[in-house]
Amino acid sequence: MDRREFLKTTQALLATIFGSSFFSIEELDAMETSENKPDLIWIHAMSCDGCSTSFLNAEIPLVDILSRFVNIVFHPTVMAAEGRLSMEILKKYEDTQNDLILIVEGAIPSKELPHACMMGEEFIRDTIVNTARKASLAIAAGTCASFLGICDMKGMHIDAVSLKKCLEEESVDTPVVNLPACPLKPNHLLYTLFYYIKNRKTPPVDLMHRPLRFFGNTVHERCVYYNDFQEKIFAKRIGDRGCLFKLGCQGPVTKCDCIKSGNDYDKYNCIKSGHPCIGCASENFPRNILFKRADDERKLEKYKDFKRI
Amino acid sequence: MKLTIDPVTRIEGHLKVNVEIKNSKIVSAKCSADMYRGLEKALKGYDYLTAIQITQRTCGCCPYAHAEAAALAIEDALQIELNKNAKLLRNMVIGAYKLKDYLLHFYTLSSLDFININSILEYNGNDIKMLEFKKYVLKEISSKKVFPSPLFTQKYKNVYIENSKFNLTLIKHYLENFEAMKKAAEMVKIFGAKAPHMTTIEAGGITTKPTADRLIKYINLAKDLKEFIYNKYFEDVLRVAKYFKEYFKIGKGVNNFLTFNTLQNLDGSYMFVAGFSKDFRFEEGVEPYEIVEYSNYAYYKENGGYKPLELDDLHPVDLEEFENSEKYTWSRAPRYKGHVVEVGPAAIVINTYLSGKNHKLNKIVNKINSELDISIKDYNSVMGRHLSRAIVSMMIIDKLIEDALNVDEGVLGFTQLKHPPSNVKGVGLTEATRGALAHFIDIGENGYIRNYEMVVPTTWNISPKDNRDIPGALESMLIGTHIKDENNPIEISRIIRSTDPCLACAVH
Repeated sequence: MDRREFLKTTQALLATIFGSSFFSIEELDAMETSENKPDLIWIHAMSCDGCSTSFLNAEIPLVDILSRFVNIVFHPTVMAAEGRLSMEILKKYEDTQNDLILIVEGAIPSKELPHACMMGEEFIRDTIVNTARKASLAIAAGTCASFLGICDMKGMHIDAVSLKKCLEEESVDTPVVNLPACPLKPNHLLYTLFYYIKNRKTPPVDLMHRPLRFFGNTVHERCVYYNDFQEKIFAKRIGDRGCLFKLGCQGPVTKCDCIKSGNDYDKYNCIKSGHPCIGCASENFPRNILFKRADDERKLEKYKDFKRI
Repeated sequence: MKLTIDPVTRIEGHLKVNVEIKNSKIVSAKCSADMYRGLEKALKGYDYLTAIQITQRTCGCCPYAHAEAAALAIEDALQIELNKNAKLLRNMVIGAYKLKDYLLHFYTLSSLDFININSILEYNGNDIKMLEFKKYVLKEISSKKVFPSPLFTQKYKNVYIENSKFNLTLIKHYLENFEAMKKAAEMVKIFGAKAPHMTTIEAGGITTKPTADRLIKYINLAKDLKEFIYNKYFEDVLRVAKYFKEYFKIGKGVNNFLTFNTLQNLDGSYMFVAGFSKDFRFEEGVEPYEIVEYSNYAYYKENGGYKPLELDDLHPVDLEEFENSEKYTWSRAPRYKGHVVEVGPAAIVINTYLSGKNHKLNKIVNKINSELDISIKDYNSVMGRHLSRAIVSMMIIDKLIEDALNVDEGVLGFTQLKHPPSNVKGVGLTEATRGALAHFIDIGENGYIRNYEMVVPTTWNISPKDNRDIPGALESMLIGTHIKDENNPIEISRIIRSTDPCLACAVH
């Protein structure tokens, strides 16, 4: 693929994500050769690395795209540098004026238990706060960084906080965009980054700081089985025809674009693969029951109190 | 001289390694896992089936293994039998994921410890990808940017491959590997819905119906992937092994290897054999309740040694104790019948080889051994571990294609759920990418979890000292290592990465 072709592919890809020809080839061309590309720092807090993996897995040439339109300054999973050398990058960064985008993957330890996550012999919480102060945009990648996800369950001792909450606690006013879904959907990240690169501001978001473009509807509203739901045709067992609601489907309480997106990434989504939605993008993930028999009368409960989101 | 590597990058998660070097030799080593969440005990009170979805979120690199182990534990507790398609499809999802991980480990994570990236500047061919990459590297290293891309900033001097043609081949495959991994990831998604964190693995099988179009797509991708694994991945590992032959003697750990069963055949046997070997004497079968996890050096208030499910909660120490005690890691120290053990692909190859049950594996290993003039004992080394991954990968891809061809099209590979059980216990044992993985579930009343325990491969490998002060597997590999050049101690990085540590798993 030569450069021209690459730009064309990128444009086509962005068009599917943005829903219109958001960028002309000329604009992309200018962006790639520009000297003012924003820098990108990606930090892992209490994460499983799943969001990074998802991002490397994507069928689209994401790394190619990113390495051309932003400067990747720090990413623990792919960089060759290690140990002190890598920490020096972050240290040096504190004295520059570059336009910076910070991406945080995973929940952040509380003030009381900061040692629950360390990097380079420093509390990751401090590293994140210091870097966020310099950043003009902070992106919470995935459900843990956005809504705590599995890092906030009933019996846990860590009292982790979300990126948004952490920055509030430390009075850092960098705008935060939440991109829940477990793992992060690469398209959501690409959209947020390109929107920022073009407009130098965050995309339109809802009250929970999620881009409206992807989180305006519930999974249920766009579900392939929505008609079955209205006709009251419910699957009683896995493999039956019909809406999966009675098997514990959390599509009605989960906002995300899994089904409507039509992107490669969502080609084989959970519901199409015969499994009810487990609500991984929901602010209440994980609920106490994620999958059940149709005749199971136990109550689905949520636990989150939103004080730490 | 004391040396700290923190963070160890190009692994999964937060790892710190402290070593002390005297007279060019490592005399002590400490591995610290730097991240704690407390997932297993938090499962208490959640429905038993949530264990499958939640434990796989321990790790974004090997979620499949946790999903499988949790499903196996539940199947063990509830006595659920899998049908033919369930067995095959589950192999197809987890097998594809294993391959993706092995490829990721060798190229993306480890190869930068061997390749000299600067060789790309000598590239004169016409492969467009390579030219683009050359342009990228040139731009990054020549620019006056304050922050040239750290992706290829190599730290050590004079330790990489000198043959530039060889470097260029590896770089080319490094780039092609991204495509190969995407193929493997797509194979996972075809029957797993997403990768990572596939939803469709459940107790009872796989919820995705194997339609003809899904099967065809899977088989086509698998054939492409086989090409890459046989002709590029395996060949590259072999060439690197020949080039760095001394690494068959470096990074030798304890001679104790533990493996569990994985990848079931239709006749009920397994592709790789479960057992324990000590000094290359193999004993088949494992007793999961013989595992004890010690936490004298782990940041928990409970200091003793505990069998699986013995504790129903684990409390993190506060900041003061964190800073002022002898404890140095969040990882506990598991021991099998009192032994420090190494788990992972080398253990799989060694144990299966010693068992003599898989003729195909023994044939491949014998052939390689005579070509490289090594013996099975040399698999306990940096290169032995890389080589083992490649051997295991070749065998897995063959099995996946065979299994996919055996699936009965259109037949659901899933046994429907029973009513929520009460007061039952189960154990799920399997092999993750990084080695032997055990899940223990105790279901209380009405289907809700009463207690949960995970004993994870990397916990075995990066284990701290136990309560008798015996260092863990990776620590033992490091101790005694000769460092050629104290200013460029790349031996340490290579030893660490050869075990493919996965820290989010280790502590969970």
